[in-house]
Parts: sequence; C-alpha cells; structure tokens
Amino acid sequence: MSGILIVAEHTRGALADLSLELIGAALTLKESLGGPLRALVTGETAEDFVSALNRPGVDEILVAKTDNPHFDAAVNEEAVVSAALAVRPALILIGHSASGGSFAAAVAVRLGSGFAADVFGLEAAASGVKATRGAYGGKVNVELDFPDKPVVVLTVRGATFKAPEGVGGATVTPLALALDGVKGRCRHRGFEEAPASNIDIGKAEFILSIGRGIQDEKNVPRFAALAEKLGATLGCSRPVADSGWLPKPHQVGLTGKVAGNCKLYLALGISGAVQHQHGMKHVETIIAVNTDANAPIYAVATHGCAMDVFAFADALERRIG
Amino acid sequence: METRALFWGLESFGITAFYLIGFAAIGAFLWGVARAVGKYRRGRPSPVKLDLRTGFLRMAAAVASHRALRRRDQVAGAAHALVFFGFAALFLGTAIITLEYDILEPLFGVTYWKGMFFKAFSLTVDIAGLLVLAGVLLLMLRRGTAHSPEKLDYRRAYLGETELRPAARRWQVEDWVFLVAILVIIVSGFTQEGLRHAMERPAWGGWEPVGAFFGLLFANSSEETLRAVRAVNWWFHGLAALAFIVALPWYKAKHIFAAMGALAARDPLALSRLPAPAPEAETAGAGRMSDFSWKDMLDFDACTKCGRCHEACPARTAGYPLSPRDFILDLRLANDMAQGRDLPDKALIGGVIDPETLWSCRACGACLEICPVGIEHPVKIVKMRRQLVENDCLDPLLRNTLSAIGASGNSFGEPARKRAAWTKDLGFTVKDIRRQAADLLWFVGDQASFDPRGQQVSRAVARIFKAARVDFALLHEGEKTAGNDARRVGEEGLFEALAEHNLGEMARAKSFQRIVTTDPHTFNTLHNEYPEFGAIAPVIHYTELLCDLLESGALKVKKPLRLKVTFHDPCHLGRLNKRYDAPRRVLALIGCELVEMPRNRDNAFCCGAGGGRMWMPDKPGTQKPSELRIREAAELLPLDVFVTCCPKDLIMFEDARKTAGFEKDFVVEDIAELVARAIELDAIALQDLPGLTERIAAAVAQRVASVVVERLDKALAGHLPAPAIAAPAGTPAPAAVIGAPAASGVEWQARPVTPARLPAFDTPARNGARILVPVKRVGALGDDFSFTDDRRGIPAEFFEYQLNEWDDTALEQALRTVEALGGGEVVVVSVGPAEAGEILRKALAKGAHRGIRVWDAGLEDADPIAIARLLAAVALREKPDLIFMGGQSGDQANAATGAALARLLDLPRATLAVAADWDGGEFIRVKRELEGGLLHEVELPVPALVTLQTGANTPRYATMRMIKQAREKPVVFVDASGEDAIWRAARIERLSLPQAERAAMLEGGPDEVAARVIAIIREKMGETI
Repeated sequence: MSGILIVAEHTRGALADLSLELIGAALTLKESLGGPLRALVTGETAEDFVSALNRPGVDEILVAKTDNPHFDAAVNEEAVVSAALAVRPALILIGHSASGGSFAAAVAVRLGSGFAADVFGLEAAASGVKATRGAYGGKVNVELDFPDKPVVVLTVRGATFKAPEGVGGATVTPLALALDGVKGRCRHRGFEEAPASNIDIGKAEFILSIGRGIQDEKNVPRFAALAEKLGATLGCSRPVADSGWLPKPHQVGLTGKVAGNCKLYLALGISGAVQHQHGMKHVETIIAVNTDANAPIYAVATHGCAMDVFAFADALERRIG
Repeated sequence: METRALFWGLESFGITAFYLIGFAAIGAFLWGVARAVGKYRRGRPSPVKLDLRTGFLRMAAAVASHRALRRRDQVAGAAHALVFFGFAALFLGTAIITLEYDILEPLFGVTYWKGMFFKAFSLTVDIAGLLVLAGVLLLMLRRGTAHSPEKLDYRRAYLGETELRPAARRWQVEDWVFLVAILVIIVSGFTQEGLRHAMERPAWGGWEPVGAFFGLLFANSSEETLRAVRAVNWWFHGLAALAFIVALPWYKAKHIFAAMGALAARDPLALSRLPAPAPEAETAGAGRMSDFSWKDMLDFDACTKCGRCHEACPARTAGYPLSPRDFILDLRLANDMAQGRDLPDKALIGGVIDPETLWSCRACGACLEICPVGIEHPVKIVKMRRQLVENDCLDPLLRNTLSAIGASGNSFGEPARKRAAWTKDLGFTVKDIRRQAADLLWFVGDQASFDPRGQQVSRAVARIFKAARVDFALLHEGEKTAGNDARRVGEEGLFEALAEHNLGEMARAKSFQRIVTTDPHTFNTLHNEYPEFGAIAPVIHYTELLCDLLESGALKVKKPLRLKVTFHDPCHLGRLNKRYDAPRRVLALIGCELVEMPRNRDNAFCCGAGGGRMWMPDKPGTQKPSELRIREAAELLPLDVFVTCCPKDLIMFEDARKTAGFEKDFVVEDIAELVARAIELDAIALQDLPGLTERIAAAVAQRVASVVVERLDKALAGHLPAPAIAAPAGTPAPAAVIGAPAASGVEWQARPVTPARLPAFDTPARNGARILVPVKRVGALGDDFSFTDDRRGIPAEFFEYQLNEWDDTALEQALRTVEALGGGEVVVVSVGPAEAGEILRKALAKGAHRGIRVWDAGLEDADPIAIARLLAAVALREKPDLIFMGGQSGDQANAATGAALARLLDLPRATLAVAADWDGGEFIRVKRELEGGLLHEVELPVPALVTLQTGANTPRYATMRMIKQAREKPVVFVDASGEDAIWRAARIERLSLPQAERAAMLEGGPDEVAARVIAIIREKMGETI
C-alpha cells in the first residue's frame, strides 16, 4: 500500500482553502512517492465538498459521513485513523490550522507514524519523505526525515502550496466509522463571530500595519493618524491586538484577517512572525520598516528598511504635513 | 541692685495654683510626647544604622545655619529664623530665671538675676521678643496676602481639585493657630511688661526698651485700671504659654521636636543608597502602616507643609498625581488614626495612597534635597513600590521590561551577546576584562550599550579614550544592567541578583584599578549600593576622567569650540552624588561658554526618566518633564547646544527638543561629542592595525571556508550515490536509537505510541482539584548565531532562555482557576535539563504548588510526540482533573504536544483556547480561537486537556524575591534514562538558513526613505496623497 492521503477541513459549510493547497502539496510528491492521491472529508455534510475536492490529480475521495454538524477533533482523528488503516498511505497531509492542529499529532500517536508540524517544504528522497519546517521565529529551517516510518503525518503551512485548478476524475468511496468511543466527548455550544467593525482588512487595498515595534499603546493614535492621512486601513500584528491596543478586527494574520485584496502593505515595527505572514505575504508590494535588520519580514517584503519606526514616522509626517 | 519681682500681686494661693497648673501642663505635654513616642516605637526598626553623634551634629548644624530653610525662599527662611532664634532666646531666658528662682535660691540662697546681668538679660529678652514678633508678622503676611506662594496652596490642582478637602481646611486652621498663638504670647508678654513699666517706672527701664514703649501706651491709665488689667493679663499670658506647651505634641507645633529628630536620624545616603528590606521581614515592602519604620513615622510628623518638595517635584509639575508633600501628609493623617498599627478600615495602598501616585516618582531626589526637616520621601515611595511589585500591580510595559531584565540582563530585551555589539564599528578591538587586565573597567550600562543614539556616544567615548591612550576594557556580555532602576522600581530581588552577578563577574575578571561609566544611574548604584554586596573598585564618571585627561594634556584641544551652551545636571550625578564641577570644567576647557539654566546643580529639574519611569508609558493629559526642562533652556536663546552627560538624558531631551518645537534653535549633544570635536578626534588615527588585519583575515578565511564547504557539499551530493557515504568526514553517524536510514518499503503497520515508562516518584495525596501545567524552557535566538559542526543544532550560547509565553498563559489560567475554586493545587512539569529548573522555580514563584522535572540527555532534540510520551507518564501518576498547556512553544512552534498528550491519555481536548472556565463541576467550557478570529465554544467533560492561546489572560509577574522563596517549594526530578524513554517521530537531518529572497533595502536617512515610500504609494495607489 502507498500513496498520499490529504485531510480536508471545513467550517460552517465552507471548505478551507488550505485543503485544496494540500492537494497541491501532495501533487509535488505524488509521482516520486507513487500510489494514489486520496482526499478524506468528514462530517454531517461531508459529501457537499466532494465536487470541490475533485481537482486534477485526486484519485479517490473518501467520504466519512458522521452525524455531528460541527468540527470535533476526536471524530476527525477517528476518521483519519480509520482511513489510514483502510488505505495504508505513505504520507498523510493535514492542514496546519486550528482544526488540523487539534488532531494531527493524535493521529501520529495512533499510527506510531513519523510526524512534523507546520511544514512548508516537501521532498521525496530515496529514504522516504523529507520535510522542511521553520524554527526560532523563522530564523532557521529544520530539515527532517523519518527513518523507519512506513507512514508520515505532516501538517502543512497555509498559503504555501498552490491548489490545482480544474476538475479531476476522482472516484468517491464512503468510509464507515465506529464512533462509539468518541461521541459526545466534546459538546458544540456555538460560534462567536469576531467583533463587528467598520474595519475590513479583507477588502482593504492599502494597509498600514503596526506591530510590537511601536512599543506602547500611546503611540497607536499617531500611527492611526498616519494611516488616515495616507488613505490606508490600519492593521496590526497579533501582539498589538493581544495587548488590547487595537480591536481584533485590525489584526492581520492566521487568527486575524487575511489581507485578501491588498495591493500595498506597509509593515511598521512588525518582525513578521509566521502567523502574521499568513495574512499578508501574498500582497504584491510590501514595504517593511523595522529596527532589526534580520527580521523575518524582510523575507517576504518587496522593499525593506532597517530603521527606527518613529524616525520613519517623523519623516513621513513631515512630508505629508 | 536692679531686678524685678516675679509673680506680681499673687498671694501664696495664687502662686501654688499656678505651680499646680504648670505641673499639670508639663504632665499633659509629656503625655502627648509619650503617645507620639509610643507610636514611633510601633514602627519597624530602621533598616539604616543610626549614628547618633554625627546625626546630632548634622542636625545642630542644619538648625543653627537655617541653610535648608533659606534655600530657594529667603523670606520664609529669614522669618523662620527670627521666630526660631527669638523663641530660643526667650526659652533660654525663662530657664535662667527658673534656675535661680526655683532651684539655686531656695536650695543654696544663690542669686544672679540682678544688677548688670539682669539689665543685659532684660535687653536681650526684649529684643528676642521683638524678633519673634517681627518673624510671626512676616509669616502671617506671607501666608495671608494674595501673593501667598503657590506652594502653600493645599488644593491639589494636579488632581484637578478646585476646592480644599476637609483635611486641608484643618491644615489651614492649624497653620494660623500656631502663628496666632505665638503672637498672642508675645504681645501679652510685652503688654505685661508695659503694665509693669507704667506702674513701677523703674530707673533701669531703658534696658527693656520694648517694655518701656508698651508702658507709654498705658501712660494715661489710672492706677486702678492698670492694677486690674495687669492681674488679668498676668494670668492670660501665663495660661496662654502653658496651653501652648500642652498643645505642642498635638498639631503643627510638633515639628519642633519631630523635625529635629528626623534631621538627627536622617540617612545621608537615603536615595543614593536605598535601604535594603530587613531579611526577616515577611513582605518585601510597605503595604501596611506597620511596615514603616519609626523614622518613616517620625518623618510624617516632621512635615510642616512648607511645600518646597511640592514645588520641586517633576512629577507634580508635569501633572502627575504625586506631590511629595501631599504623599507625606496623607500618610501622616492615616498614621494619626492608626498610631503605628494597621489601619482598621482601609488599605494603605489604594485606600490611602493611590498606586499611580507611587508610580509617578522619578527618583530624582529633588524633594529629599530641599526638605528642610530631613524627610526621605522617595525611600518611602520605593518601599511601597516593592509591595506593588510583589502584588503584581504593574504597568504591562514595566512587567515586560522586568521580565526581560530577568531573562537577558538588559532592559532592551536584547540577547546578552549583543551588549558589546556597538564596539564592532570602532575599527579597533576593545579588551575583554575577563581575559585581559586593564587599568580601567568601563561599565557601559543599558542605554549606552543598546540604544542607537547611546551607542554613538559610546563609540565617541571609546575613541576619545583610545586617543588619550587610556587602557580600558569591558565586561562584554558578562555585564548585566547595574540595577539602579530595577531597585527604584521596587524589584529588590532582581536588583540583588544583578548586583551579585556583576560583582561576581568583576571578581572573576583580570585586574583593573578603577571603574568608569558614562551612565550616572550606573555610577550611583556601583558607587553607593554595590559596596553593601561586596568589594568594588573605585567608580568614576566619565566627565571626571575627561576632565583629568584634558587637564593633564593627554587630550589636547585643537579647536576651542566657541559655542554657547547650557548644561543639564543629571540627578544621579549632581544632586545625589554632588558632582557638579567636572562637566563644567570640561566645558570651559574645550572653549564653551556655559550659560546656566535658572534651575541648576542641586536644583536641576529631572528629565523624567529615572526611577524606572523610562519603562512606563506617559500618562495621557500630562506634560513631559523633559519638555518643561527644554523650555527652560530655550529661555536662554540664542543657544548652540544643550549639553548632557547621561545616556537617558540624551534620549529624553533629544525627543523633547523635537516635540517642544526647538529643532531649529539648538541641538542636544553629549559632552563627549563636544570633546571629540574640540580635540579633532576624526583626524586622529586610532586604528588598531594588527587587530584589524587579523580580523579581516579571519573574516575572509571564514567566508572562503563556508563557500568551499557549500560547494564541496553540492559536488559530493552530485557525484556520490548514497547520502550516508556522502556525509563529510567528521559528521557522526545517525544516532543508534533511530537505526539505519530505511529505504522506502518498510512494512506498513500501525504501531500506536504509548506513554513512556518512568521510574515512580512521590505524588502527595489529593487535596482538592489538581491542574497539571506542562511548561517549557524556550530559547530565543539572537541575530548572530552559527550551527554546531554536525549542522543539527545551535550551541546554547546563542540563546536567551525563558518560560514559554503560551505556557505562562496556561499557568495563569490554572492559577486563576484554582484561586477561584478556593483550593486545590497547580503542578508544573517540565521536560528539560537542570537549567529548566529556573523556569519551574519561576512558575512556583507565581503560585504553582509543586514542580516535576523530567530529563535525560538523549532528549536534547526530542519532538513533540516524544515529549508528550513523557508528560503522559507524569499525568498518569498525577491523575489531574485538568491539563492546561501552551498552544505552542515560542521556539519550535509545532503546536502539537497538546493533541498528542490528550491522545496518549485518551482525554477530551480543546486546542488554542482564549477562554477556559471551570467551576469544579463535571464540565469545562472553552472558547477556541479559529482562523479569522472566529470563536468556537465547546464543553468538555472533566478530566480534559486544554491548550491556551496567548492573550487569554495577562500572566502575573514573579519578583526575584518570590523566585528565591520558591526554592522552598518541592521539585521532583524524574530520570528518563530508561530504555524506552526516547521515541522519535522525526530526525533532524540538518539545519539551514532560509534561502529567502530578501527585500530590496531602501538606503538613506529617514527623509529619503520616507520620500521613496511616498513615491511607491503614489505609484501603486495613485496620486491620492
């Protein structure tokens, strides 16, 4: 047995983009690893996502229909383990997301598989799969291999691999699950929307974003004023929102908003943690100003400047009056 | 012979009655004194050793000279001197009469109050009375007219008060009662004298000129009237004087005694060498009235509300809620009620003194300096701050800064390795005192090491030293911040740890004769505070050294600067250490014309950054002391340079110059930069040529080596088939536990991972809920690092280690849960080497009850599943109700250990929670944070495992004292060296640097970059700006 199994995820009726990116990631290895590419989708509405998952290169879609309408980590774990035991893949790819992270390592424990999380590089070598992930705030790449493991579970970083376009010719196979042991262990109580706001990071074309580098809450109004003068929407990194300096809707990144329509991103005092990059690294033009010349933000920025953000703000204010 | 009769017109009954009343009055006075003394005795012992002889002499000198009273308020000083010395003479006069009348005459028949002595005595006492009268009238005039000084206004304008509070009204009343009482006694005394003169017309009447004058007022009265008025006034004057004595200990007048006591017991070093808390004290600071020392309580009573400190305080001036006067008066009011015991009905901090008041202080010492009665305000503020720190009542920014100092030894949160990074561009190497002896050790300090502007000055100073052939060295990364601000913020334990560290480094270093520093705060602490912790070489400030070098000719002025400058005395150099002259001499030597600001030397106005305020945000709606100071300097325009000699001052004033709008008028520069220009430093060749060439050669060699290795790697990889053989010589074979690299085609089989088998360890019986919190010691990687030779690791020296931020959040959640339940225990467990004991101690200091450390050397690069196996083994033994853990670690960021652990234990789980509420019942309610900020609320049956996201709460601060105390709490070590302990879900093949395309860097100054950025914005977004 061989092949790759990718695990799709969905929240409130929407398939995650990351699930389709997993197909893209799997396709980079499919040929060298050999075997079919399968996708697994779980849940009460599992079959709703079949057509979306049917992309070129996908050979089979496993549909594990359950009676729980919302995400349950234990149910997903059970589904992936059942599928793995059934199809015996060499590689299982799960999204490195809030949902994926809550069961991927558990699957690895159940299978005794190789495991790595937040992987952004994949390679097939003679010895098997190799994975690359980051460490120490993106300053170091860690290249891993998995000797002696017949199966490897990896969680894959979002916005890294490209989803294939088009329609494939996958077959659909139902997958029966025995869920007696896990049912009711996690009761869904509801969703709470991120607080409404007149800020829409997703729609903004020009974002001026501030990070830990602005040092102090009292400096926020100054940058807010700057953003207004420039005609930019004010964004921020997670620490700024965590500290309560700006409301959550301003937050760009994995647990914030993705700057989906942004053309120009001005990052001030943002070092560029992976979780922030998730929300902005795709932007066409990124300008980063940060005191630390080695900040990871320069790896995704178009233009950079190692400078005190306040000195830069002073100069900018002088120019635009 | 000339004399006069006492007790005029009194029969023996009257005299006896007067004596009885007199004794009763003295008794009442003594009772009042005893009550006050009893109150002081309830205070803690003074932490400072009392030198009564020196203290008394110092007090006598202060009283005799009236220097402190005359300073900055000549009128008040003169008026007080009139009253004080006049009253002293009158008191002495009364004593002289008493000695004869009540003792010498009845016992030995000796009399001396007669003849010439009597006449001289009478004249003296008359003049003394006149002086008191003049003084009192002057004081009344000063207080009563519309021109009354602002500092006497008890309205707390800095708090927005427009009306007097009730206590302040009482203060006004007592001020007037005190003055009027003196006036009444003096006037009734002179009246009595006048009546005597009118009736008796003595031949020697001229010796009592004032009495004679008052006598004239009664010249036309009849004998009857005179007799009647004289009898009544005698009793009035006598009883008024006795009432005055009785009342002394009960109101403002008590300062007569309390001030003398406070001055005699004054700690001459007070703020420059803060007293350490008594080691046996149960709390670090003063959180209750009974935590204050007797000297503190004496200080409360000594205050006369003169308002000098109120006027001098930079915090009050800038609109912060602190007036040293009101701070002391509030404590006095509280202690009047508490009488040295604890307040029955309200808390000292929060109830009497607002925490914000305490945080407003800059530790500049202006209040202490000007206080005429020896009150040590800042010492009390720091004592109370110690309690605030202990209670975690901290500004978040301050909390972060203290944590950063604890982790890396500097307030910038920079890796310790970067401390000497500023020396890189010098062009010559700076000695490391740990390896090479030198004449001078330069203790650089934080701002001068890490702040870009401070670094510029440090480089200038280093070059000047080099040009003057000064043999100097640094401690390099061995230096940690000296701790001046940490101590003044109230983090005493951290200060002690820093002092011990730095002294230890200096003791282990090669020999040096003296220490120099550019930072006055560092100077103060090394000079005054470190000696209490161990021997230290003499410390000088760089201005003193520059002065010597210029005077001795080691530095030659080539071009006198001919600049008009003003100079700001740093509080910690000037006021606190009385070093005013060296910087002024330097300025004169380099040809600057110094124009003093109105407030200079001991009256210099603080920049506002001291006492840890640099680490706290400014309060909205206040002014910046630095801006007020810059405006003071701007009054001197035209001016070329505002000269500083303190790295903090430089930063503060450069900022203030811009924000106050004087950018075009003058510049702010460090004195060393002026010296550099005057000696034309740029023209002096300083290159350490052999050193530099060696460095270039080394750099080239390293570059060549790395390129060659990389190419060699590629070449080998291209030509040799099997990676195992291709590994360069010296690379160790993969660890044996993993086995040989397997080819694909290992038989597919699910081999479920099981919890590790660990040796049994003691677990106490359950007592309420139990929450297990796994905590990780994470390494933050600095900018400069290199890999180990096998490229599979990074040596520990490149890391700064700390408690994982996410775990800290989980710990806080666990502590709050247990606290809300009112019982139970939080058990922290860490898989880590002995050094991880430090983060366990930190967790214990925060309130965790027990710690468990699991380790084996083979776990060095363990993956999340390997760690989960060990944690599972611990959890199986502890059987907790809940496991709270971080959603990820800050270094590896797998975000996987929690899910793995929950599976190994078969527990319900929720990951990345931003809320987790458990009331001790069957279920725990959790809000998980999903992508886009959507929250998913779920309920799990307990026992369960929850991983926490940062931002779920604000973790509390553990003081260094609490961390030390936590050494008492139990930490069990579990040896994981058993056979099956190590499991690997992955193997690190190698580490590499991200091959990212880097941004095109925009070069130039801020203005050029801003112009370029605006051009890009216009290009992308259209001409909208």
